[in-house]
Amino acid sequence: MVQINLPDNSKVQKGKYFKDKTGSKNLRKVNVYRWDPSTGDNPRIDTYEVDMENCPSKVLDILNKIKNEIDPTIAYRRSCAHGVCGSCAMNMGGKNGLACTKAHAEIDGDIDIYPLPHLKVKKDLIGDLDGLYKQYQSIEPWLKSNSKSETKEIFQSKEDREKLDGAYECIMCACCSTSCPSYWWNGDKYLGPAVLLQAYRWIVDSRDEERESRLKKVADELKLYRCHTILNCTSACPKGLNPAKAIAEIKKMLATANI
Amino acid sequence: MEDKNPLSPHIQIYRWQVSSLVSIAHRITGIINILGITIICFWISLLLLGENNYGMINMFLNSFFGKFIILGLTWSFLFQVLSEIRHLIMDMGYGFELQTTKVTGLIVIFGSIILTIIFYLIGKNFI
Repeated sequence: MVQINLPDNSKVQKGKYFKDKTGSKNLRKVNVYRWDPSTGDNPRIDTYEVDMENCPSKVLDILNKIKNEIDPTIAYRRSCAHGVCGSCAMNMGGKNGLACTKAHAEIDGDIDIYPLPHLKVKKDLIGDLDGLYKQYQSIEPWLKSNSKSETKEIFQSKEDREKLDGAYECIMCACCSTSCPSYWWNGDKYLGPAVLLQAYRWIVDSRDEERESRLKKVADELKLYRCHTILNCTSACPKGLNPAKAIAEIKKMLATANI
Repeated sequence: MEDKNPLSPHIQIYRWQVSSLVSIAHRITGIINILGITIICFWISLLLLGENNYGMINMFLNSFFGKFIILGLTWSFLFQVLSEIRHLIMDMGYGFELQTTKVTGLIVIFGSIILTIIFYLIGKNFI
């Protein structure tokens, strides 16, 4: 259901203001979404003045700086810091991305940092992705090749292998799915770009023998056809992949195949 | 997840892209067009009831508000047509590169405005 307004307990309030203590001349204001589960309060936006003189180039560096030097209570996920693990996916400057690969110089004005959109917040910048992982499980993301030998290598031509390019690189950071308005309104049924890209990855894999049943499984008014090519997913993907095109390819396969 | 956990902000904070603007405008113009076509159908049906009704509607359409509605509907139809062509091309699997979607989106937005002006000038016998 389309629900434009946030529920009452999610309305964002003004929070604390952390004035700069370093005396630096090169300051930037960073607005961070905060929510503490141990209190009954609504979420708030805390503003930090961050010394940019001694700050590396990425948004994650700013968050680390805030956590280390200004406010240790702030919570966010991060791990590899090289755009490989997908932990630090969040909404920066109004667009989803990985904090570790997004340069803060690309954001004009104050830097607004929110958790990934339309998720239940666990704490501060940490959203709950359980629903997405369940949907990922539902497409059975593993190779199904019953007839072929399990002890021998399954050959794949170079051309067939190339079909997986642009699909296998996905790190499941959820930037795309949580940028999609269709996924916001119908996230309980619509699979969303991340999961559909993975569905596509297994549908086009030449080694997989369940292509038809995989296609049949996603061919659903809600699971697949809620995609209206809004293309927020493609513009959000920090790995430069194209989930919207993958979804269009699935639709095309369904339209042209006799299933 | 319990209900006490807040929902993170979504449409309130997400920056608009050309593609998302065209998409939402496609829906809105679609609804406007259905209303517009309904009104046009009523207008044509009223002609059956005689000249008086025709004159009344003619007067309304010649008023400033009426002209605004005609121009608005013209734009809405043209936007829908251009956007639908864009969607058809996408359904064939083309035009999904980020730059291309931006360009085609801008073509839809500005093309519909330019075509509206051309239609207006044709209507006014300027062309």
